[in-house]
Amino acid sequence: MDIRGVQIDDTFAEAFGMRGARIIITAKNEKWARESANKLTGFATSVIACKCEAAIERVLAPGETPDGRPGISVLLFTMDSDSLPKRVIERIGQTVLTCPTTACFDGLPDSPDRIAIGKPLRTFGDGFQASKMVDGVRYWRLPVMEGEFLIHETFGKAKGVGGGNFLILAESADAALDSAEAAVDAMAGMPGVILPFPGGIVRSGSKVGAKKYKTMIASTNEAFAPTLRAITKTELPIGVNSVLEIVLDGLDFRSIAKAMQVGIDAACRTGVHSITAGNYGGKLGPYHFHLRKIMSGDVEDAPKQDAPT
Amino acid sequence: MSDRITLTLHTPLVRRLSAPAIAPDRLAGLSSQEISSLELWDGRTPIALGDVFAVSGERASVVELEGDCTQLDDVGTTMSAGSLEIKGSIGNALGARMRGGRIAVQGSAGHDLGMAMAGGSIVVGGSVGDRAGGAMPGASKGMTGGDVVVRGSAGREAGARMRRGTLYCGSVGENAGIGMIAGNIIVAGAIGSEVGVGNKRGSIVALYGVDVPPTYAYACTYRPPHLSLMLLSLRARFGIGVDDAHLHGLYKRYSGDLAEIGKGEILEWQMA
Repeated sequence: MDIRGVQIDDTFAEAFGMRGARIIITAKNEKWARESANKLTGFATSVIACKCEAAIERVLAPGETPDGRPGISVLLFTMDSDSLPKRVIERIGQTVLTCPTTACFDGLPDSPDRIAIGKPLRTFGDGFQASKMVDGVRYWRLPVMEGEFLIHETFGKAKGVGGGNFLILAESADAALDSAEAAVDAMAGMPGVILPFPGGIVRSGSKVGAKKYKTMIASTNEAFAPTLRAITKTELPIGVNSVLEIVLDGLDFRSIAKAMQVGIDAACRTGVHSITAGNYGGKLGPYHFHLRKIMSGDVEDAPKQDAPT
Repeated sequence: MSDRITLTLHTPLVRRLSAPAIAPDRLAGLSSQEISSLELWDGRTPIALGDVFAVSGERASVVELEGDCTQLDDVGTTMSAGSLEIKGSIGNALGARMRGGRIAVQGSAGHDLGMAMAGGSIVVGGSVGDRAGGAMPGASKGMTGGDVVVRGSAGREAGARMRRGTLYCGSVGENAGIGMIAGNIIVAGAIGSEVGVGNKRGSIVALYGVDVPPTYAYACTYRPPHLSLMLLSLRARFGIGVDDAHLHGLYKRYSGDLAEIGKGEILEWQMA
């Protein structure tokens, strides 16, 4: 298969199960909602060292937010259920509570799995906090120097998918970056998906563990490192001099698959040799995103043998 | 089975009747004949519902009441589900102790509307008497949940001793929110004297103006973030017209009642 002269490899991206929350931050204007969201999602590229993965999902118009103000939707994922509330609480407590004019709302109100977020954060109010029930949902009002901070008592928890990916193999570093930027732009704002790395792009794709340093959880993926072509078992075709990776986390398989479809299509530009994906032979995770199936329009859930039980 | 049950008053009421039997969840499983034989009460004397109302429809959870029912009390008492639509006006204690469902009144209602209700909603197009959303005589708590919307005026002691829920009124008489434990009273227009006396944790929102009692103290002028949620919810669920100026405007916050624990508030909207 090729798209505009770019080969789509017959392989799959291998992803794993995560736990996620959607955090809605509203503020006086988009500038302050974004300030808060940028801080909340800072240092949250990979669970390998950041304990969570988070990024802005999309900008929300005033008509889409609970309080009718401009907002930003953020998705945050962890590897397990227990750590999700910890990460959400510490990040909201330090980056949304502290930010002028913001309020914070649950973006998964229909989820039956609930995690207490506003409830523990209310103790910042030192007994001066007050609760309000609106439409059967409890909110906490925390008095702060600016005025009041408002937050949902509980947030919804969802089973998500982490580690969807594709690799752009290009003739030059500039061509790889142009292609990756186009892919990120095309995927921006797609619902249910985030790209947690800087600008949505990874230059240091990794393999599990390391050959030399046994304590390393992850190390460089030498098979795709062009400077090591001559001394390793390379995966790089002749003419490829740079590789960039796009990593996607999402609330479900279909959201990621649709984003990959859009992103890969946009990535197929002049100077790109091929598109491939990272997998570990099926050992890492139960979600398999087959590139050629996705680019043929099949973005539905994985067949049974590829889905988690 | 019908899509609704219609009770049409065929004999004008000259005396007050108590009609706790008229509630959608009580009528939902009954035939027309069974509904006609339900008892209304003239003091201690039972009267068959069919002697006063013509019944059409059966086994439905939507009930319509037609005619001048201003002498008919206790309709919808303790109802927990279904929809009650009152085409005219109604007497006292409509929806008292109701736990769920929906009541809509095109006209006005008497005293004790939604007294001690715990859930559901009551919307009145006209005005209501005293103690809307208030407490049973001698009881410590008024309404503990649900929503009451009065587009016209409410009488004295609206929301007295309310514990939870929201009461929205076009205007209220004196002593609104007296002994309020918590919950919300939102008033679009005039507010009578002595509002919120004895308020513990309740929120009283004045969108037009208010004489703040001396046992409240001014705290600050700010934008209460929860208020836009509440007003947007009222707009979405009950079609209440809410100005953007009220949604995102500034409010003076007064803490009180300081003769109580002082965790309640009066929020007074400020014209820009």
